[in-house]
Amino acid sequence: MNWNTLADRQPYVVKLLTNSLKKDRLAHAYLFKGNKGTGKRKISIHLAKAYFCRVKKDSEPCGECPDCKRIDSGNHPDVHFVAPEGQSIKIEQIRQLQKEFSYLGLESKSKAYILEHADRMTSQAANSLLKFLEEPGQETIAVLLTENPQQLLDTIRSRCQILTFAPQSQRKLIESLTEENYPVQLARTAAALTNDQAEAEEYLNDEWFVQARKNVLKLGEELFERPQRALLALHEHWNPHFKEKQQVEIGLDLLLILYKDVFLTQLEEEHSIVYNDQQNILSVQALQSSQSRVRTQMLHILEAKRRLNANMNLQLLMEQLVLRLQEG
Amino acid sequence: MLKKTKTARIIFHVDMNSFYASVECSINPDLRGKPLAIAGNVEERRGIVVTSSYEARAQGVHTTMTVWEAKQKCPGLIVMPPSFERYRTASRKMFNLLSEYTDLIEPISIDEGYMDVTERYSDHSPIEMAEEIQNRLMNELHLPCSIGIAPNKFLAKMASDMKKPLGITILRKRELPGKLWPLPIEEMHGVGKKTMEKFHKMNIYTIGDLASRDLQEVKLHLGKNGEKLWNRSKGIDDRPVDPEASNEFKSVGTSTTLPEDIVQIDEAANVLKELSQSLEQRLKRKKVVTTSVQLTIRYADRKTITRSQTFSNPIQQKEELFKISNNLFKEHWDERPVRLLGITATQVIDKSNATRQLDLFSYKEHTKDEQLFETLERINRRYGEQSIQKGIEKKGDVSHGNENETGRNEEVDREGINRQGRKR
Amino acid sequence: MKFIMNRDQLVDSVQDVMKAVSTRTTIPILTGIKIETHEDGVTLTGSDSDISIERFIPVEEDGYEHVEVEKSGSIVLQARFFSEIVKKLPGSKVEVEVFERFGTRIRSGSSEFNLNGLDPQEYPRLPEVQENDKFSIQADLLKTLIRQTVFAVSTSETRPILTGVNWHILEGELNCVATDSHRLASRVAAVESTTDELEHPNVVIPGKSLTELSKILDDSSALVDIVITESQVLFKAKNILFFSRLLDGNYPDTSKLIPSDSKTEMVISTKEFLQAIDRASLLAKEGRNNVVKLSTMENGQVEISSNSPEVGKVFEHVSTESFEGDELKISFSAKYMMDALKVMDCSEVLIRFTGAMRPFVLTPLDGNTIKQLILPVRTY
Repeated sequence: MNWNTLADRQPYVVKLLTNSLKKDRLAHAYLFKGNKGTGKRKISIHLAKAYFCRVKKDSEPCGECPDCKRIDSGNHPDVHFVAPEGQSIKIEQIRQLQKEFSYLGLESKSKAYILEHADRMTSQAANSLLKFLEEPGQETIAVLLTENPQQLLDTIRSRCQILTFAPQSQRKLIESLTEENYPVQLARTAAALTNDQAEAEEYLNDEWFVQARKNVLKLGEELFERPQRALLALHEHWNPHFKEKQQVEIGLDLLLILYKDVFLTQLEEEHSIVYNDQQNILSVQALQSSQSRVRTQMLHILEAKRRLNANMNLQLLMEQLVLRLQEG
Repeated sequence: MLKKTKTARIIFHVDMNSFYASVECSINPDLRGKPLAIAGNVEERRGIVVTSSYEARAQGVHTTMTVWEAKQKCPGLIVMPPSFERYRTASRKMFNLLSEYTDLIEPISIDEGYMDVTERYSDHSPIEMAEEIQNRLMNELHLPCSIGIAPNKFLAKMASDMKKPLGITILRKRELPGKLWPLPIEEMHGVGKKTMEKFHKMNIYTIGDLASRDLQEVKLHLGKNGEKLWNRSKGIDDRPVDPEASNEFKSVGTSTTLPEDIVQIDEAANVLKELSQSLEQRLKRKKVVTTSVQLTIRYADRKTITRSQTFSNPIQQKEELFKISNNLFKEHWDERPVRLLGITATQVIDKSNATRQLDLFSYKEHTKDEQLFETLERINRRYGEQSIQKGIEKKGDVSHGNENETGRNEEVDREGINRQGRKR
Repeated sequence: MKFIMNRDQLVDSVQDVMKAVSTRTTIPILTGIKIETHEDGVTLTGSDSDISIERFIPVEEDGYEHVEVEKSGSIVLQARFFSEIVKKLPGSKVEVEVFERFGTRIRSGSSEFNLNGLDPQEYPRLPEVQENDKFSIQADLLKTLIRQTVFAVSTSETRPILTGVNWHILEGELNCVATDSHRLASRVAAVESTTDELEHPNVVIPGKSLTELSKILDDSSALVDIVITESQVLFKAKNILFFSRLLDGNYPDTSKLIPSDSKTEMVISTKEFLQAIDRASLLAKEGRNNVVKLSTMENGQVEISSNSPEVGKVFEHVSTESFEGDELKISFSAKYMMDALKVMDCSEVLIRFTGAMRPFVLTPLDGNTIKQLILPVRTY
């Protein structure tokens, strides 16, 4: 991998970073914001390599030297990765980082840290991070990655240079997935969940995901056609399959796509529909329901996703959602 | 607030048995069943036994004996220095456990307290509840206690003394003639050596003797205190169980049930600001400062959590109280709707005993007080300690006030002397 | 890589470097010990990233052969397993050989272990010793000056720079300062250096590192070489190299904060004073800040008192050797005073006060290489 291949997907971000590298004027802190699968992590790692590689050409790290290799393996002593432990990034993790950053680097004065899902810091952790964003060490760079920049403290955002990652085109992704011989219907579904090819392939290789799609469509059908039986369908088709929180999250995403497809059908934007093997059901539902009702239903699903992150009981959450979807 | 109710109250007096020694045994099980004494100074002869285990007591060891004497009586005696930090921790755990049964707890010291369980949370009968408390203290904390159950504090206290260790004693009013009155007068709670002598002069030797006397006669000899004791001997004591009454382990707190559940962080901040203000006033009125702040959050589903922070330099001001409680809230709130918020100063100390460690990088802020400090010192030296003691805070120990209201004892307050402390 | 070493030698050396290995590391490779062989011997390295210890085992030393190096190379082996294995090996010699893909065979007597090693390229690179920019100090003196300062570092992370001891090297003198902002300890010592121009104004060494260093140094008069690099300090004793990372940031200038004048001066027996404070603090410990109060008296005595409302009061009288200046009442932490007195290493201490709300300074009566400063406690 090099800046060129990365620039394929994120030309603007790559250009900005390579320019700063060439001029030796990197910011102390970057905030990479963009959807899942837009390459935030890849670029942050490449940036760290460019920062530490001692034999880089221009702004291009060699990828071969011990510095580059150890950044990949997680063994570089002066590059620190922080990601949520369970639900959130905890104060202890930031304290550990803080301690690390009160020291000079082990091999040189330079230090870097990459904070994944920075929005999932507890408020205590965020406040603690803020303290050392305010007083950055001499040769420290921080890269914060997030899909939800609005959930970060303003004070944190304002101390970072913000780089927006462009979403990868869905069409391109679907094409390349079908080229890999994945069934087109599934490819469309996976591409609706992520912009990242590797992640999409991971979904497609997972039997659970294939079944998840079926179950969500089944639940949708019940909701549309026999709403009074929807709770039953929930217990039959949903609960046994979507047990973990992350699974429920995917399930909710798939359900959201279904309602979005109804909406698109109402708008006669059929070419954008994800579940285009379900057009019969979709067009019936599009006729029977109003646009505003579908919009409200989509908001209910989004609200359920939010509560999921607030750690609500999963079954209760789904039951409430189904009841709300029935009401409209 | 206590409810005014006609129904008889049910008061527990929970008294931990040889607390310090029990705590040591709970931490180090090897000590269990062995004669153990806690002494101020373990090695030297002049060390004095502060408390001892029942095993040691059985061999004649008792409090205030020197370590040397104690070892004569009980050669196998294990002597340990006190570790108050441990006792405080154990005490906190014990009171936390008690507080699961009622909010109306009045700690009297590190190892005993009253509970008013008239309106308890539990469905159990009082005796079942007492048994449960005793068992749980034993099983969960390895600490034995005796519990007295009675319609008022005095009788509950007397009752808990009747069976130790691990006793549960109920003392009903109708049982006074049989259980209370035969006791020697000096065993009555509130009767010290001097009072005992006075009673003896009046030919009062048992509690029953006192109860049978005429109130006026007792009052004549012992004044108001006599009246109080006379009432008690008849089983009358209507002092409420006041969670804020004890000075030593007192906590000062304030809380509010919200008109509407809180779901936003800044709504909470506003409430906490108000609570901080009210807490500051209460701390000031009581002339105390605190080194620990506890936040109580009760959610709409009545689940309640408390989280606290402890610090070395004591505080009293609303700004600091707010900052700490607000941080605790931000840190621990799980975003569910909040029904009640409370702030409690949990480790209060008399302001006159409070100290602040100065800081190398900021001590100069305090040096401007030096002159006042020295002036007071000089005046005291010249005119004697009493001269301006009323204007400041403390007897025998020269110090100076922190803000305008600095009077320490109630007497001073009533005299209404205008005190001018320094102004910040 | 292949070498054959005396088992006892290997066990000792592994134990030395294990002192730096931590199980709680976020960097996977640091769970290992690095072994490197070259013509003149074998080097073992352990590190928790804050400190690193390198142990060198020469092929031959004082005519005694420690190790036979058959093939140079390097490997990283899981520290926990490797150290346990070598301890229990049956033979008097141990053969270690690395094969393809970092497979490592350990043989001794009748026993043979095959361990999966890790890529030594992954291991952190420690700075090389630059011989020209070093200074030296006797091991025992180094230990003393660590002991006299490190206790005063801050344990709180709110101001991380204060968790270290500031070393200031100028004109052949090393000045060590530590403060947690409530007390300050400083010690000056002469150092030997190859060049007069050696100057390091702001080297802040983590207190924890110095404590660890102190543990591995002998109480000998042998010289320890000290080199300060861009981000680390390293201490070189015989066959052992100790590295510590430095703290990032500027140490506050404390020199201006130490008062130079005084209003009250007293000379007092260190031991008597220490014992009096110790006794007074028995009750003071109960009070939350462990505070005792010192009051001057008319007969050249001072009174140390403490009042703990829960427990009682204590008064101690101590005679001073000499007393000059204003009367004084001052409260301070008994712990800080005892900490300071314990490291004075002198029979009589001079204490200079400038007021009840100002820092006071302790120095030995016969010299000023040690200076201890304590901030008083304010009572209300």
